[in-house]
Amino acid sequence: MTLAAAIERSKRNREDWKYTDLPALLARRAQNAPMPITALPATANDDARLVFVNGIFHPAQSRFGSIPSCILMGDERSGYKLTLGEHTCLVAQPVELVFTTDESATDEIDINLSIDIGANGRLTLLERHLPSRAFSTIDINVTLHESAKFVHGKMTSGGAHIARTNVNVARGGYYSHFGLTRGGLPMRHDIDVHLMDEQAQAALHGVMLLRGGDHADITTRIAHNAPHGVSRQMFKTVLGDKSRGVFQGKIYVAPHAQKTDGHQISRALLLSDSAEMDAKPELEIYADDVKCSHGSTIGDLDADALFYLRARGLSETQARALLIDAFTGEVIDDIPVPAWRDLFRADMEGWQS
Amino acid sequence: MLEIRNLHAAIGGKEILKGIDLTVPSGQVHAIMGPNGSGKSTLSYVLSGREGYEVTQGTVTLNGQDLLALNTEQRAAAGVFLAMQYPVEIPGVTNMNFLKTALNAVRKSRGQSELDAMQMLKLLRGKASAIGLSDDMLKRAVNVGFSGGEKKRNEILQMAVLEPALCLLDETDSGLDIDALKIVSDGVNALRAPDRSMVVITHYQRLLDYIKPDAVHVLAFGKIRKSGGPELAHELEARGYADFAGEAA
Repeated sequence: MTLAAAIERSKRNREDWKYTDLPALLARRAQNAPMPITALPATANDDARLVFVNGIFHPAQSRFGSIPSCILMGDERSGYKLTLGEHTCLVAQPVELVFTTDESATDEIDINLSIDIGANGRLTLLERHLPSRAFSTIDINVTLHESAKFVHGKMTSGGAHIARTNVNVARGGYYSHFGLTRGGLPMRHDIDVHLMDEQAQAALHGVMLLRGGDHADITTRIAHNAPHGVSRQMFKTVLGDKSRGVFQGKIYVAPHAQKTDGHQISRALLLSDSAEMDAKPELEIYADDVKCSHGSTIGDLDADALFYLRARGLSETQARALLIDAFTGEVIDDIPVPAWRDLFRADMEGWQS
Repeated sequence: MLEIRNLHAAIGGKEILKGIDLTVPSGQVHAIMGPNGSGKSTLSYVLSGREGYEVTQGTVTLNGQDLLALNTEQRAAAGVFLAMQYPVEIPGVTNMNFLKTALNAVRKSRGQSELDAMQMLKLLRGKASAIGLSDDMLKRAVNVGFSGGEKKRNEILQMAVLEPALCLLDETDSGLDIDALKIVSDGVNALRAPDRSMVVITHYQRLLDYIKPDAVHVLAFGKIRKSGGPELAHELEARGYADFAGEAA
């Protein structure tokens, strides 16, 4: 996917891009100062870390740890491919993909990555995008074979970012996604999950922290194409200043996908009168024996709770921070990788200060 | 010592408190009784500095310090504690984290050193077990899923931890059965101290069987209409607030 293709797609499919006017946002972005280039953050452990500079895999800065280097193939032109064989398990050692840029970065960086996890394989991978002055797009195509499991973390820290994650899940497979979106102008992430066979499962979780003139849009589609599929979605958005957040979530259930269990919830916290949240849940159900639900709430911090905390000596800033932490905690606390939880929390603290 | 002089306060331009005069010496417990709508809860909110309550006249000092010049959290640091009638549920914040953050915030404001995790844990466990709250209650989210009695006990725990100079108990008896009332009252009585003033706000005399006041005041139509000893509460119980209904002007 290129930026031009994304713009084209947004024009073709207006309903899908109802709240995100890409050309207008890009024009607004052009007026802002470019984001500074950040150094590669230190890691405390010897986990595998694959670094991409300006969209190109950079072996010298990367570290494979105990995982075989043949796991990653391909190049920036044909796309990268990460392959895990049958029964291969990379859970104890999470893999981190870091996307960064330097002074020689072009205005636009497009990345294509496919991830293939063999039957009974297990992968835990964090996709981490550092602030960049370039416009970045990333297309990730995931294939989970029978009973494969993939825990996918994604962190973005502002800038212009358009992402598409397309996941195919085979029988008994499980895709779990945890996204932390810190800012973005614009940021758009489409997550398409196809549960292709029985007992396939997906759980999508996300936290968006927006302020200033940020605009971030997460659009999910979960297609239940087989019986006994389970999907869970929980998205939390915190909006300050004049930021705008969008969550569009669709659950599709095919006619024969009986006993589908799909649940989706979006909650937003508006910290400013000028912020805006648009939530559009959609259920499209063609089977008659299913359990599907969606919910959406948009509100301010609870005035009674703020007073209660302040009456116990917390400053207003402390009280607000505690309540915001509690709000996002419902997602963060569920992250199965402790190191990611710490990373997400540290990133959130940075956002609040 | 709490000293309230000619306190007038309004909400949204409507005057609710119309000149309260009240002195509660350190070491004493004073009860404020009154009919619904008399201004009892307003008084507790005004004293704890809740936004939306406008003080139009008068002074309030605690041990000589001007409370009205302070915001809510500064008053907490100065020693004001309001045990709420309806303690707020805060999903996602553990009781432990809440108490820890509150105590360290207050200690910091009072110029004391903050407690580290171990000291804090020891202190909180000790205080909790003293009023019959289990460790489990410390790990749960603040007031979420707590029974009425547990919520009120949790208020008493916070009071015990923050060691205030002024305790305001706003209808602490509401929603409690006799057993819970007794447990909460025991908790309050254990916190009576020579350097602490307590104001017990209640509609019913019942609570005062358990928390024995040094003085009783009747608040009606925004003013203290009558003050007396504990026997005044019994009079009110027998005769109701009808005597004060005619003084609306």
